Amino acid sequence: MFAELGHFSLVLALLMSMLLSVYPMWGAYKNQVQYMALAKPLAIGMFLFTAISFGALVNAFYTDDFSVAYVANHSNSLLPWYYKITAVWGGHEGSFLLWILIFSIWTVGVAVLSRGIPQAMVARVLSILGMVAIGFYLYLLLASNPFESLLPFYPVDGRDLNPLLQDFGMIIHPPMLYMGYVGFAVAFAFAISALLSGQLDSTWARWSRPWTLAAWCFLTLGLSLGSWWAYYELGWGGWWFWDPVENAALMPWLVGTALVHSLAVTEKRKIFKSWTVLLAISAFSLSLLGTFLVRSGVLVSVHSFASDPTRGLFILAILGVVVGGSLVLYAIRAPQLKSIGRYEWFSREVMLIGNNLLLTAATIVVLMGTLLPLVHKEIGLGSISIGAPFFNQMFTYLIVPFVLLLAMGPLSRWKKQSAKAIQKQMLIGFVISVCAALLIQASYNQMTYMATLGSILSVWILVSTLQEIMQRVAKENNKTSSSTTWQRLRRLTPSHWGMVLGHLGFAVTLIGITLVSNYDQEKDVRMRTGDVVEISGYVFQFNGVRELTGPNYYGHVGIVDVYTDTTLTEKITHLEAEKRFYPVQRSSMTEAGIDSGISRDLFMALGEQLNDGAWAVRIYVKPFVNWIWAGSIIMALGGLLSISDKRYRMAKVAKVKQRLSGEQTATATSSDVLATKAQGQA
Amino acid sequence: MKKASLFLIPITLFVLLSVFLYKGLYGDPRQLDSTVLNKPAPNFALPDLMQPDVIYDPSIFAGQVTLMNVWGVWCVTCAVELPYLTELSQQGVRIIGLYYDQDTDPDFGIKSIPTIQKEVAAKLAQLGNPYEFNVFDVKRDYSLDLGVTGAPETFLIDKQGVIRMHHIGDINTRVWRTKIAPLYNELIAQ
Repeated sequence: MFAELGHFSLVLALLMSMLLSVYPMWGAYKNQVQYMALAKPLAIGMFLFTAISFGALVNAFYTDDFSVAYVANHSNSLLPWYYKITAVWGGHEGSFLLWILIFSIWTVGVAVLSRGIPQAMVARVLSILGMVAIGFYLYLLLASNPFESLLPFYPVDGRDLNPLLQDFGMIIHPPMLYMGYVGFAVAFAFAISALLSGQLDSTWARWSRPWTLAAWCFLTLGLSLGSWWAYYELGWGGWWFWDPVENAALMPWLVGTALVHSLAVTEKRKIFKSWTVLLAISAFSLSLLGTFLVRSGVLVSVHSFASDPTRGLFILAILGVVVGGSLVLYAIRAPQLKSIGRYEWFSREVMLIGNNLLLTAATIVVLMGTLLPLVHKEIGLGSISIGAPFFNQMFTYLIVPFVLLLAMGPLSRWKKQSAKAIQKQMLIGFVISVCAALLIQASYNQMTYMATLGSILSVWILVSTLQEIMQRVAKENNKTSSSTTWQRLRRLTPSHWGMVLGHLGFAVTLIGITLVSNYDQEKDVRMRTGDVVEISGYVFQFNGVRELTGPNYYGHVGIVDVYTDTTLTEKITHLEAEKRFYPVQRSSMTEAGIDSGISRDLFMALGEQLNDGAWAVRIYVKPFVNWIWAGSIIMALGGLLSISDKRYRMAKVAKVKQRLSGEQTATATSSDVLATKAQGQA
Repeated sequence: MKKASLFLIPITLFVLLSVFLYKGLYGDPRQLDSTVLNKPAPNFALPDLMQPDVIYDPSIFAGQVTLMNVWGVWCVTCAVELPYLTELSQQGVRIIGLYYDQDTDPDFGIKSIPTIQKEVAAKLAQLGNPYEFNVFDVKRDYSLDLGVTGAPETFLIDKQGVIRMHHIGDINTRVWRTKIAPLYNELIAQ
């Protein structure tokens, strides 16, 4: 019964999205307030019905309603209740329902939180979101309905959730990732509305900035959760595999990062307008493309017999309409976008656009690497595959100029920077980072070009970020010499700290990547109870295997104790790695035993039992691997801080803007002035 | 105007990309079969699964119509088709196995050959043994040469050693009657 209710709600949500795509847009075009006013209730209605529909599916899973085909295929009565809930997005149909639920949450967010934005603009934005939503509601209802019934012949029990997905990381990873993916729809909708309305100043950039930042934060967290999950759940000890599904999520992140920066330039300096619009369109387009690649089976392994080309075709059609339509609009309208500001070749603008181009280049590398096998096959050159070495090499080339610009950018002024003024800071930064890199190398008694390069680059970002804060404080000092350093530090705006954290987080991730890629130690060994193996100063003793019985699986637990030396007196930690077998799905799973630390992870995975009674055991020592994820959390926090900046509290923006309009923001960076003004008003 | 044409680049690239995605959607991985169909079976030199010192090459196909069945003990569907294949072999159809092992765990795969032999023997004793013998595809190279995408798959090979049909999925009464038997009988008659 509830399943039918969910199905019906989904139809109602589709109707809402249809109305939403027509009336407010028409109202904005004809300047009819009553039609524009429909936008908010329709957006809320769309969200409510989608939420009911989602709730119905959750209920079907929770109550083991195996008359619903999707539930029968992805759940099992033995599954713990929390995995029954997460199994909702463990398959194709359900994850699309989650996708569209999150889409409607963003839509309702825009509808509710946009009081400071002109009604016509909000109406257009919501209409565009409604149009995109139509495509996905239709897709769900016509091509992949999660409520499809198996009545009258339904199974007694379900086929169980893929064991890989029975994990805590899986509970939160997809919602996070989708929040990011789908969130770029808001920036997209703002950009398209700006193009449509012909209101081609840079105000849309200001309005869409907090939304874009929020989406970027979620995507950052989602990506790193995915990587962390792969690290401890797949048992390969790797944290990034350059597989098409990962690439599909990385591309929107790269473009989104470029967009976050480009929006700042467009907002503050009123330049690069058409570029920013293109980035906003691209970020969402790549999210859609990612959805297509992951869901259509184009790139998935050749073993996916069941992949259905009509589903892929449907998503491709949505992609064609949404992306094709917006790019045509872009081709027509973008030439009218005039950039007013002037800037010289050596200025913060140029460095930011430089980094934008490098991020775009990185995106193209990932896109090419992901799609080239497909293209290669289509033009008749046979099947090829592109692996990690290609991506790693390309990213190594790109990161050097990227970090150089990242170090210089925040230190430079808008409009024009004299090379001389920045020379000294750059030199100091370079010397410190080379020294630090040499120290790091020395502590590992080992030197590789890659590790040296990576260490120099990451330390340089740290140093230049600190230099930037010092420069800020010193600059303030000239103006109001009475205040203490602490007061001056406190005067820096949240969005400034956001930038600082964003860059620091990147440095932390980079150093993690560098150290773990160059200095990790790995051993595959056969071990009997009592056997001892030593890796980079850690002594691992294998203490046998015990049987394991879980709610819907059974297996073995391998036990390993780690000591500081071969006398086995000082114990560091106790590791347990599981090898599970899930009988319903007939598949086995590895749960690694990991001892996490700031400077290293000790990682152990249990393999097969060998003929002579010994066990295959894989042992890793991974230096600084946690820094990769810690860095991304810092980055996301930075984004969050930026959003919290007062100037985004919408009602105030208009007033601040009025007061600013006459002001010259040439010398001090405009964020300073804006923030001071905003604080003065608060 | 030069600048306006610049803004057409994104849409042009997108259209190009869409064409490839569209073609990719219908570019069935199974079409790879066509590269081996109606050609002599690719060359190989592989051991017998049970007696590793016996080495086979394509001469095993000469003079007889053969069904070569790609299978493994790890494959659930293979277990389903084994009884029917056994029935077929009792009716006189020559079936040989191309055995390949799939590691249950990508990390620690490599099972020893005695283990595999033990598992295979047990499986065949339980479900019936349709195979004249099993060729052991040691590194799965031959499966790759044949364009095998999974298991079970079956190749119909004529008296000249030419591959005439590639069937993906299990063989059951329906598949045999409608798809394989007509060509098989034709080839036998030649």
